[in-house]
Amino acid sequence: MTDHFKALPSRRAVLGTMAAGAALIAAGPGRAAGKTLNILSHKVHQTVLGTGDGDLLKDWQKASDAELAFTTFDSNPLQDRLFREASLGETDFGVGYLIDNRPTAQVAALFEPLDDWQKKNPIEDFSDIAPGLVQGMTVGGKLIGIPVRHATQGLFYNEALLEEAGIAAPPTTLEELIEQSKKLTFTSKAGTPVTGMVLASDLAVFPVMFARAFGGDFIDGQFRLVPNPAAMEAGLAALRALFEAGALPRSYATTKNDDQVTWLQQGRAAFTVLPFARFAQLNNADQSKFPGKIKAIEFPISAGLKGKMPMASVVEAWAMSIPKNARNKDLAWSYIREVSSKRVTLGMAINGNGPVRVSSYADAQLKAKNPVAAVEAKVLADARGAFPPFPEAARAQATFLEEVQLAVIGRKPVKEAVAAIVERVKPLMPA
Amino acid sequence: MEATKPIRVWPMLAPVHALVLGVIVLPSLYVVWLSLSASTFGQAPVYVGLANYLKVLADPAFRQALLNTVLLVLVAVHVELLLGLGMALLFASGLPFRRFLLVAVLAPYAVSEVTAVVMWRFLFDPDAGPVTLALRAWGLPTLDWAYEPSHALVLIGLLTVWLHLPFTFVILYAARLAVPGELYEAARIDGATRWQAFRRVTMPLLMPAIVIALLFRYIFAFRLFSEAWLLTKGGPARSTEVVAIYLYQEAFTFNAFGPAAATSWIMVVASLLLAGLYALVLRRSGASHAH
Repeated sequence: MTDHFKALPSRRAVLGTMAAGAALIAAGPGRAAGKTLNILSHKVHQTVLGTGDGDLLKDWQKASDAELAFTTFDSNPLQDRLFREASLGETDFGVGYLIDNRPTAQVAALFEPLDDWQKKNPIEDFSDIAPGLVQGMTVGGKLIGIPVRHATQGLFYNEALLEEAGIAAPPTTLEELIEQSKKLTFTSKAGTPVTGMVLASDLAVFPVMFARAFGGDFIDGQFRLVPNPAAMEAGLAALRALFEAGALPRSYATTKNDDQVTWLQQGRAAFTVLPFARFAQLNNADQSKFPGKIKAIEFPISAGLKGKMPMASVVEAWAMSIPKNARNKDLAWSYIREVSSKRVTLGMAINGNGPVRVSSYADAQLKAKNPVAAVEAKVLADARGAFPPFPEAARAQATFLEEVQLAVIGRKPVKEAVAAIVERVKPLMPA
Repeated sequence: MEATKPIRVWPMLAPVHALVLGVIVLPSLYVVWLSLSASTFGQAPVYVGLANYLKVLADPAFRQALLNTVLLVLVAVHVELLLGLGMALLFASGLPFRRFLLVAVLAPYAVSEVTAVVMWRFLFDPDAGPVTLALRAWGLPTLDWAYEPSHALVLIGLLTVWLHLPFTFVILYAARLAVPGELYEAARIDGATRWQAFRRVTMPLLMPAIVIALLFRYIFAFRLFSEAWLLTKGGPARSTEVVAIYLYQEAFTFNAFGPAAATSWIMVVASLLLAGLYALVLRRSGASHAH
């Protein structure tokens, strides 16, 4: 045998190493915890719970002898995966995070009714959780999710650009917002072409907010479709006017939610509508060219309705649910109870979560950390979902957005678009 | 040598058959069954016959998506074929820095579709894209793809061609290299011009490779999704939607599994029909040229 072959490990050595390795793995250190709770959520739900010393659930994990295993997705794929898991004979996932406009009666049937769990082992001061959010998770009289996060929409503006354009104060009515947006469509001193307003075109939130500013809606809580067509027309006409004036980007039809954030951070837009929870990100010095200069207020109502009724901004809420086919429901409920406690709700709020407890907003630490907490709390009091859940809600939203896009970019007169929304969405409405 | 009895061979082949059955045949049959029923999350499937197929075919959004897809496939596949053929002939004729150029031509195939779309979105951004700004500076028309559906379809087509040209090129280049040099020598001795050598020698011998490249590209191109979804999401107002986006929306946005399954089978049949018919025509014309 040559030296070269001698240098190679023998077959026996290779097999021996593999066997020893396998034995080592098998006899390795035991798992840190006796139980594992698998959770399906968005990444943000995991992030706001903190890590390391700041882990808000470290004591609970120790006491429960449980470790948490998060599987995270973006919103739509998350709901899809959750519903698929809940449709199986059995699932490993104990907790799934649900968006409030998804649980139709059929979907709700896939989840554990939580009323009995609440009776047996109640959540601390349950009445402190915003009743509107709890109502949104009650389907057919059964509570199927415990609210954990809300994203309430506010109007963000770049204070530096307003000052540069000689605007002393942000708008107090929708008409002022339109006027200011047009004025803020200019080239800034830095040489950046600025668009007055940037909005994504693939979310119903924005046209719904504009319609509500005139007292209208897309589908209200009583399932009335476009209850006030004149208000919807006024809302879409306002968006159309912005687009015509160049105060909405020409790329409106392909603008996405993420673009809103970057456009505001880069000073390419003066106004946008985003959840208040985005405040920290928009003012993050590492990402934004205008840290500390991006402010948020309540989305303004039209001049004709100012003082007569409150502006109903759009709120989207998340809730924790237990699939009916989950293996360990006791552990899942224990987790939900802990995450819903006052301490963890406040901790998550300080980490950037929209708190579902009214009491969290009174906390001094939160007020210091989040300058828009007070205005967010005020807006939340009158806010409601973009539309209620029903089996064809997603298709209805897509149809609505199709007509809105046609109206805004001028391919269809606003009046015709509103008539088409009513005509096309009506067959999709629940009986 | 004694012929092996089939019964002895079957156990050896069984794993392959089981794999094909489990991975392709059974899921396909499941999708057929799904396409004949109405179902969504939390609702047991109910047999509805061909209702899903009729619903999809009657939907104006589907017809628009099908038209967009056929248009994009026809244009992109033929542009790829022409460019791929031209480049294969150019490379075969001898080029300086051939290896470097080969790498450059093949590079887009190594780029993921998502990365490519992000890159092109940045380059062609209607307000701040370097390509848009350069075209504007030279006084040339720009692609208003975020507003004009026809411009968006052009950009999707260009991106598709850029991404998949290497596939067609490699097949045709390999086939061209396999053509014996003696044939060209004989043609030259017989007094054939370059054009005659191309028509009478190169094309007939490349025809099988062309048919294969076209067949694969027709089938792949029909599944076009990422380019359109990430660039325009099918907008404005579903005007740039392709069939794969329509399917995705039905399945994962509207959770209508019946129409989604029906759409997938319509896609399979349409792409096979388109590719099959085209391959047949090409084969026949290729055969007649060869004689």
